[in-house]
Amino acid sequence: MSGFAAFARKEATEIVRTWRVWVLPGMLLFFALSGPLMAKFTPEIIKAVGGEQLAGMMAALPKPTYLDAYGQWTKNLTQIALFAIIIIYGGLVSAERKSGTAILVLTKPVSRVGFVIAKATVHAAFLAVTMVVGTLVTWGGTALVFGTAPGRSLWLASLAWLGLGVLFLGIMTLLSTLLDSQAGAAGIGLGVFALMSIAAMWEPLGKYSPAALGGQSMMLAAGKDAAILWPVVTALVFAVTLVLVAALVFRTKEL
Amino acid sequence: MSAAIETRRLTKVYGKKRALDHVDLRVEEGSIFGFLGPNGAGKTTTLRMLTGLARPTKGTVRVLGHDVSSADNAVRAEIGFLPDVPGFYEWMTAEEFLRFAGGLFGIERRVLDQRVGVLLDLAGLTDVTTRIGGYSRGMKQRLGVAQALINAPRLLMLDEPTSALDPMGRKEVLDMLESLRGRTTVFFSTHILGDVERICDTVAILDNGRLVVQAPIDELKARYGAEKVVVEVEDGADELATAIDAAPWSTKVERDGNGTMHVTVADAYAAKRAIPAMVAERGLALSRMEAGEMGLEEVFVQLVGGGQS
Repeated sequence: MSGFAAFARKEATEIVRTWRVWVLPGMLLFFALSGPLMAKFTPEIIKAVGGEQLAGMMAALPKPTYLDAYGQWTKNLTQIALFAIIIIYGGLVSAERKSGTAILVLTKPVSRVGFVIAKATVHAAFLAVTMVVGTLVTWGGTALVFGTAPGRSLWLASLAWLGLGVLFLGIMTLLSTLLDSQAGAAGIGLGVFALMSIAAMWEPLGKYSPAALGGQSMMLAAGKDAAILWPVVTALVFAVTLVLVAALVFRTKEL
Repeated sequence: MSAAIETRRLTKVYGKKRALDHVDLRVEEGSIFGFLGPNGAGKTTTLRMLTGLARPTKGTVRVLGHDVSSADNAVRAEIGFLPDVPGFYEWMTAEEFLRFAGGLFGIERRVLDQRVGVLLDLAGLTDVTTRIGGYSRGMKQRLGVAQALINAPRLLMLDEPTSALDPMGRKEVLDMLESLRGRTTVFFSTHILGDVERICDTVAILDNGRLVVQAPIDELKARYGAEKVVVEVEDGADELATAIDAAPWSTKVERDGNGTMHVTVADAYAAKRAIPAMVAERGLALSRMEAGEMGLEEVFVQLVGGGQS
C-alpha cells in the first residue's frame, strides 16, 4: 500500500471512529426522517394549537404534498447542513498541524500535496455517501407519508446541494491550510457563503456559477425545472482548483 | 566515511531572532551522535530543517547524500524521526498506530506483523489495549521511539527522546539506541549530559544558535581534560594548595578533603613543570600527579558559560 493510500485509509477510519460519524450523518438523518413528517403534520399541529383564526388561515392553504417534504429537506441542506460543513471542516488541515500528527506523517513517505488531496478526497466521498443515504431516507419517508414520491426532482435537488457541499469542502480545505484557527476559517467560510448568496442575485452568476446551486436546489425540490449542469460542473472545477491551491500552499508551510 | 547528515552555514532567522547561525554539522554514517545544548539553543530548529519540516534562511542541508529541500519520499523512506512532543491520533491504539506508520512506508504485511510485535514489546506496550488518548507522556514517548523505528531506518533522528521518561524508561531507550550502533546512524538532541556520555561516540554542542564544538566525545574530554591536573600528596596538602592557587598558571584548586587536589590550569605545560618543584621544595611526599579527566558536564558548562542547561 502506498503512503497516500495508507493515509487516505486512516482518514476514512477516523471518520468512523470519532465524532465525525455522528455529527453530519446524524444531522442529515434527522432531517431525512423528520422532513416528511413535519411537512405532513405541521398544518394540523398549527390548527390544533393555534386557535380558530389560525385554523381558518391554514384551511385556506393547499394540502401538503410530497413537494413540501422535498422542500423541507433541501432547505435544511442548503442552510444548516452547509453551515455544519463550514464549521466542521474549518480545522481539516490545521488541526493536524496543531496536534503534531502532521509532523509524524509528513516525515514519512507521504508528500504534503498527497496529504491535502487525500483528506479532501476522502471527505468529499464521505459527504457524497452521507447525502445519498439522507436522500434515500427522505425518498422512502416521503413515499410512506404521502403515498407518492417521484425521484427525479429530489435526486437532482440533492445533487445540486452536493455540488455546493463539495465546493465548500474545497473552500474550507484552503482556509484551514492558510489559517491555524478553526474558528477563524469557519468565520471566513460563513462570509463566503453570505457573499455567494448575494452574488446569486446577478443573473449570469445566478445561472452558471456555483452561486446558483442553493436556489436551484430549492427550485428543483419545488418541482420546477432548473439547469444545474453548469453550476455543478463549475462548482466541481472550483473545488478541485481550491484543493490543489491548498496543497501547493501547504507545501510551502513550515511545520 | 560518508556523512549521514551534513549542514553548511545553516542559518535560520525568525523575524529579528537568529535561531541558528552558520552551523556546519557533519554526522558520520554509523555513529551515535549527541546534539547537546541548553534549552532554546536551536536544537529543535535544526532537527526541523534536517527533516524538511522547516526551510533554512541560508545554507544547505544534506541528509543521506540528498539535499533536503528537494528530497522526496525515497529519502524519507530511510529516515526515522521522533519530534520533541510526538502527536498521535488519540483514537488509535499503539498497535494501530504502528501498523498505520508501517503502511505509510509500504511495509509488507508479514514484515510489519513481526516488527509491530517487537516494537510494542520494546515500548512496553504489548498488553496495553487502551487508546493512545489515555496514555501518559512517558508511554507516548516510548511509542514515539517505536514508530520511528518501524521502517528499520538508516538514519534515526530523535528530539529529546528521554526527556519525558522515568529512570527505567530512560535506561531502556538508551540501551535500545545503543543496540543500534553500527547498523543505524543515530542523531539525537538532548540537554541531559549523562545520556550523551553513556552512549554517544560523537557530540556537538550548540549554544545560542551557534555550534560551539563538534568532536568525538573522547577527544573532547581529553582536549579539555588536558587543562586539569590531579595532584595527591601524603601530607602538607593545605600548604601546597595555597601555593598552587597563588601560581600564575593556576585558575582554580579544588580539594576533596584529604590529600588530593584538582587543579584547573591555564597553562598545563607550566603547571606540570612547576608542581613537582613545589612539592620537592616543601619536602612533601608526592603520591600521584596526572592529567585530570574532565567530565562532559564540565566541558559543557565551560563551553556554554554555565548559565543554563
